[in-house]
Amino acid sequence: MRRQVGANIPKVDGLEKVLGEVRYGADLPAKEPLCLKVVRSPKSHAKIVRIEMDEALRIPGVERVFTAKDIPGKNLVGTITKDQPILCSDRVRYIGDPVALVAAKTSEAAEAAANKVVVVYEDLPALNHPEEALKLNGPLIHDKGNLLFEFHVIKGDVQKGLRESHLIIEKTYQTTWVDHAYLEPDAGISFLDEKERVTVVCPTQNVHYDQKEVASVLGLSLDQVRIIQCATGGGFGGRLDITIQCLLALAVFHLKKPVKIVYSREEVFQVTSKRHPLTIRYKSGVKEDGTLIAVEVEILGDTGAYASYGPTVCIRSAVHATGPYLIPNVKVRSRMVYTNNSWSGAMRGFGVPQMAFAHESQMDLLAQALKIDPLEFRLKNCLRNGSETATGQTLMTSVGIGETLRKVKECRDKANHSREDPKRPFIKRGVGVGSMWYGIGNTGIANPSTAQMEIDPNGEVRLYIGVADIGQGSDTVLLQIASEGLGIPLKEIRVIRADTALTTDAGATSASRQTYISGNAILDAINYLKQEAIKEAGPLLNMDEKDLFYEEGKVKARTCLTTSLPVREVARRSGKVIKGEGSFDPETTRLDSKTGQGAPYATYAFATHLAEVEVDTETGKVRVNRVVASHDVGRAIHPKNVIGQITGGVAMGMGFALMEEYVPGGTTSFVNYLIPTSKDVPEVIPILVEENEPSGPFGAKGVGEPALIPCAPAILNAITDAIGERIYHLPANLERVLETVRKKKAGNSNH
Amino acid sequence: MRLKDFTSNLKRSDPQTFRRLSLIQTMEITIKFTINGKIVKVEVPPHWTLLRLLREKLGLTGTKEGCGIGECGACTVVMDGRPINACLILAPKAEGRSVETVEGLGDQVFLHPLQQSFIDHGAVQCGFCTPGILMSAKTLLDGNPHPTKEEVKGAISGHLCRCTGYQQIVEAIEDTGKKRKVIR
Ligand code: FES
Ligand code: FES
Repeated sequence: MRRQVGANIPKVDGLEKVLGEVRYGADLPAKEPLCLKVVRSPKSHAKIVRIEMDEALRIPGVERVFTAKDIPGKNLVGTITKDQPILCSDRVRYIGDPVALVAAKTSEAAEAAANKVVVVYEDLPALNHPEEALKLNGPLIHDKGNLLFEFHVIKGDVQKGLRESHLIIEKTYQTTWVDHAYLEPDAGISFLDEKERVTVVCPTQNVHYDQKEVASVLGLSLDQVRIIQCATGGGFGGRLDITIQCLLALAVFHLKKPVKIVYSREEVFQVTSKRHPLTIRYKSGVKEDGTLIAVEVEILGDTGAYASYGPTVCIRSAVHATGPYLIPNVKVRSRMVYTNNSWSGAMRGFGVPQMAFAHESQMDLLAQALKIDPLEFRLKNCLRNGSETATGQTLMTSVGIGETLRKVKECRDKANHSREDPKRPFIKRGVGVGSMWYGIGNTGIANPSTAQMEIDPNGEVRLYIGVADIGQGSDTVLLQIASEGLGIPLKEIRVIRADTALTTDAGATSASRQTYISGNAILDAINYLKQEAIKEAGPLLNMDEKDLFYEEGKVKARTCLTTSLPVREVARRSGKVIKGEGSFDPETTRLDSKTGQGAPYATYAFATHLAEVEVDTETGKVRVNRVVASHDVGRAIHPKNVIGQITGGVAMGMGFALMEEYVPGGTTSFVNYLIPTSKDVPEVIPILVEENEPSGPFGAKGVGEPALIPCAPAILNAITDAIGERIYHLPANLERVLETVRKKKAGNSNH
Repeated sequence: MRLKDFTSNLKRSDPQTFRRLSLIQTMEITIKFTINGKIVKVEVPPHWTLLRLLREKLGLTGTKEGCGIGECGACTVVMDGRPINACLILAPKAEGRSVETVEGLGDQVFLHPLQQSFIDHGAVQCGFCTPGILMSAKTLLDGNPHPTKEEVKGAISGHLCRCTGYQQIVEAIEDTGKKRKVIR
């Protein structure tokens, strides 16, 4: 059999996607579904005095208007802290908070009725800045207080480190809200299935989480709720939280008729989660010879109206605050605060992209002050096999940061970077690097995956896996792993996935974890399947189990080379389903709650990007010409998929660096929220550094989030290189670039 | 597009049509046009967009709605040889025209070379942008069989793709053009 791992096979869902046959949320067929429309708050903070729906109910075609009173179970959801209502009962906390839900025969009627639902509000003071929200005796957004979460990482003695430093640099960095802008607006259907289960079919990143929330909101047991993931038009973290699931389920629960909801783009912008804006005060100390000895970091994040993944981002940003560098003295304080802004949640990188912007800016500032080449400076300080991280974890293997830096350096040294354009004197060119590290999987907590493999007597081979493929290609990669592990061609394995009635919990498609964690769970299942096959083959071959082994899809005898039985033959002849159930949970330790010390991840991915930019000093426009993206992903199971993640990550990183700025209550469409187009994106030169990870499936780690993280810092450092002045506030849009160019000019003429 | 947005847009841009439409909103009109080579006659409320007609009346859900206001390109179909945003066109405008959608591009057995190239180049991730981009790419290649990279980028610049960073998409289209050269 052809080897699967490392092979660029066609994506398993590619064909139906190019044919336009695959069904996303809005394409799902349902029998005369009722259309749902949500009534939302136009206020950022207010008390709900009353809701009047008589007029709405009079509109022809309207079946029902639901409010919080109709929720039979717990009206609060959230991955970590359950604080977000499905329909607000007494108070709204941001512009877009759901207040009522209309079900009607047509979308027109639903829309018209939603406009006729009258909600009487009484304004409450709105808090729009984290500092303001932290003030004592101010208004509370949630009863337990406005500080959602606080986390510290403390190692060594930072004061001593700073005292011993030859040079200290301290700066403050600011990032803003970013929208996932997945291209498919949230949409889905719900109905009672043949077993009377409330069944929701929708785009999502985690069916088993959705199932728990829907059951809890409806007051049902888990087996009365079924979630099926349909084809999902992107996620990037935005579909880790509950979006439409509970609304759909609530309507079906009461009406017992199929229902459908389709969000408009405006609604997606208004009501789904965002990337957390972080304010990062960063102080670094370095010795005269360029050795980093201390960093002190203060992070303040705005989680908006609800917790969502706020605690996760709070912890992950603190844990990754140092960047991929060896620093003996570290002190990080990270706080996450409620405000009345749009709620922030998970977005590709969980706070690490924001941190990378800060630590990589610091690295360049230090290198420049010390007059050391920025790449040499990173190479001198980067983690190596055997290094200890800021949380006191010793990384024994697969620390590829050095190699990614060397690869990028080769590229940079070979290229001939001219700084000026003789024909266009207003153009300034620059080159910059950015590096990152990223822990694979959830931080210091159990995050297991489970999988089943089976071969039935008629020869069908099946993989059952709860993983949601959101376009990144996990179906393909996990099938490759299964095929390689079993020794059975990929085309002959059927995958059954992401349906709570048929598959078991694989955890979320997030934290770049599915290849590594679910890949391992599949291999574990295969191991059990092999044992099972050997056991069944014994009597068929008249041999003792001990003398048999499994290889290349066959049970073989140790003693006799010619005696073997294909595993499907074993199933057929024994008349039994040969089955294996597997699981995997990466080896981590819980982080100490006071010092943040521990081993939060079993493995880390590393990456370095080099960006080449042109800045138009008259308009402020930045053009990114080329990005060299060097990634240590462990073993690449599907190199082409990995490269696709990298090119996509670079584009999103570029958006984060230069153009994307969501305004709560203001952003409504792609007209006022710009994302990169084919004309904006740079040429991407991907470099795969495959540092084998012994604990990974065939040596693999992960790439989804790492692809984005180093891009913005590389671009920002390149802009600084071009214009000689640094920007500390993302995005570096036209106005900020122009302002910085002017500041530079003014500074020069003052000299 | 939401009806509300559509009508309020129309009210501004074309008050006369708006008034006429408000009168006939409840009625349906019959239109006849060619869809993927076949002539169809359908009844449609005159305020529906072509996108809605395709998706909801003709069951052609391959064409997607990503924004409803002409900003993302996901709804791109070919009308009389030109790529258009089906979310911006009223269904009655299709009267007498020829419309092509992704469903007419190829099938399981005979993929259009572009479809094959998208698969080969890994140009499809979530795939939501794919049908629209394929239709723009097809029009490009019909008029310019061997486009340069820059021409390809220009032809798909009205399409948003959040997953791929466009590189594999551009390569897939460019390569389809190059392969044609070999055949000739
Ligand atoms: S749906 Fe028509 S352009 Fe976005
Ligand atoms: S592949 Fe997902 S938007 Fe293009």
